[in-house]
Amino acid sequence: MNYVIETQHVHRFFGEGEVRVSALNDVSIRIERGEFSAIIGPSGSGKTTFLQLVGGLDNPTSGRIWLSGANIAEMTGRELSDFRRDHIGFIFQSYNLIPVLSAEENIEYVMLLQGVSVNKRHKRVREVLSLVGLEGLGDRRPAQLSGGQQQRVAVARAMASSPDIILADEPTANLDSATGAALLDVMRELNEDQGMTFVFSTHDQKIMDRANRLIHLHDGKVEQDETK
Amino acid sequence: MLIVKLAWRNLFRNTRRTLLTVMLVSFSLVSLILTDGMVKGMQEKLVGSVTQTLTGEAQIHKKGFWEELDEKKFIDDPAPIINEILLNEDIQTFAPRVIVGGMIASPYNITGGLIYGVDADRELGISKLKKAIIEGAYLSGSPREILIGKSMSDILEVSPGDRIVISAAEVENGEISQELFRVSGIFEFGLAELDNSLGFINLKVAQSLIGLDKGIHQIVVRFNNPENALDLDNSFYQDSNKGDIEALSWIDYNPSIASLIGMSNYATVIIGVTLFLVATFGVINSLFMSIYERLYELGVAKAIGTSGPELMSLVILEAVLLGIISCILGCVLGYFANSWFAIHGIPFGTYDFSGVILQGIHTKVALEQVTLLPLCVIILVLLSAIYPAIFAARIMPVESMRRSL
Repeated sequence: MNYVIETQHVHRFFGEGEVRVSALNDVSIRIERGEFSAIIGPSGSGKTTFLQLVGGLDNPTSGRIWLSGANIAEMTGRELSDFRRDHIGFIFQSYNLIPVLSAEENIEYVMLLQGVSVNKRHKRVREVLSLVGLEGLGDRRPAQLSGGQQQRVAVARAMASSPDIILADEPTANLDSATGAALLDVMRELNEDQGMTFVFSTHDQKIMDRANRLIHLHDGKVEQDETK
Repeated sequence: MLIVKLAWRNLFRNTRRTLLTVMLVSFSLVSLILTDGMVKGMQEKLVGSVTQTLTGEAQIHKKGFWEELDEKKFIDDPAPIINEILLNEDIQTFAPRVIVGGMIASPYNITGGLIYGVDADRELGISKLKKAIIEGAYLSGSPREILIGKSMSDILEVSPGDRIVISAAEVENGEISQELFRVSGIFEFGLAELDNSLGFINLKVAQSLIGLDKGIHQIVVRFNNPENALDLDNSFYQDSNKGDIEALSWIDYNPSIASLIGMSNYATVIIGVTLFLVATFGVINSLFMSIYERLYELGVAKAIGTSGPELMSLVILEAVLLGIISCILGCVLGYFANSWFAIHGIPFGTYDFSGVILQGIHTKVALEQVTLLPLCVIILVLLSAIYPAIFAARIMPVESMRRSL
């Protein structure tokens, strides 16, 4: 089976001795290409830790993680950085665009790191801006865009380099209900039309309603894994 | 290009801080340009004062003469040497001299001194003797005329027209020879040791006084390019230093001035290092503040695939741009300030510097002040960016992004 993410018996502890906290406890999950999955659970259940681990931003205390078939534990820091750049797109709760760059330049940035030629970059920027419905706003800086528009730019940035998977941490948390719903529709379309894999960490019922798989975490353990 | 754009815009996220850092670095550069201009101006004036007043840029003697001013060590046939000098295209002019120690007596007092026998016409191209005349007239070729310094005239209580007697030993047998002279002029070089103890008479009279025929003690030369005086590989030194004849550059017979110049160069280096250290810490501080403000953002940049070396390059690029802006401002301000003081001078008043009287300092504008010094600033800013850049490169995304993912 072609899994985009596969974790096997992953544990993640923070602290030592009496103050040791188990953030993830024996988590084994497989996510297939093209899924639109949501990791859900109460605060402190391990959602963010899970995304950090499968995003290659943190290392598990024990267990193994494969991303697009590659064991990330065997990668050096530089290889992991390159891997994130080429295979993973991130969408953050508070957008996290580079404030001194325009929307177009923010989207272009990762492709620049990938060494994509100028012409190809500009063509791709126009494409993804159109896909997220931001034609004509490419030259604006983040401060000149609304929250919803900024998060659309973040989505465009995440997908511009055509990653294998997009990890989204509470992407609608800072948006009003209507804007959040519209953004989710954009991401669902991308998932359905382009086959992009999305994994969300969320409390948002709208995301849960649209997701085709819900993974319930509780106290660091997978409590329920339901596919709709 | 996007990275340069990003670095440039990052620099102006906090315009006030960037401008303050630019001012710190650029004013350090301005200070250094002015210090360098002042030291170079002072050195030029000092060297000019030494070489143009009397001693010239280089001298030819019989070996051993200069150390003790031994009158018996004279060049008995200067013609071949003078012929070589005339053929040397680097030499602008020369003047032969006889130097003899003796007693100078007036009806009222007596003092010791050095009597220079000079070729009045040739001396015009070598020394400032004629310009230094404050009373009476320059040498005309008359056998009984003598020029004495202002201080000596005060000691002897004589003025132009008064008679004085010079007693000196003949070089061959040591017998005392005496000649009567009439003071034709009084000079003032502004150098105490010269105004106190020197007298100038015509060359042939001096040769006759101590029993020299064609012999002379010294040939003083001036180069077309004064810098050649310090080039011991110059054909003048190569041709002249042979047998018992030696050619010395002004630095050889003015070692104290050479030491002073060396010392003032060290002073420039010390001031430069101090100023640059202050500027370096300013740049490091500014870069760290900028990095700490963007810690979260840099974490995000790393999360989305920016490598450590790429973040390092970004910080270094920001520092280089900061250095370039500072250098442009510093060079423009420094050049105009230095040029202004080069024309109008810095009014320090009159002071004695190693026996040389200087009045104020006119700074000297030099090309390296707007090429080498800014280059040093850029390199230093670059070096000062390395530590903050390494810090930025080592940022762990998960640590710096605790607020979200």
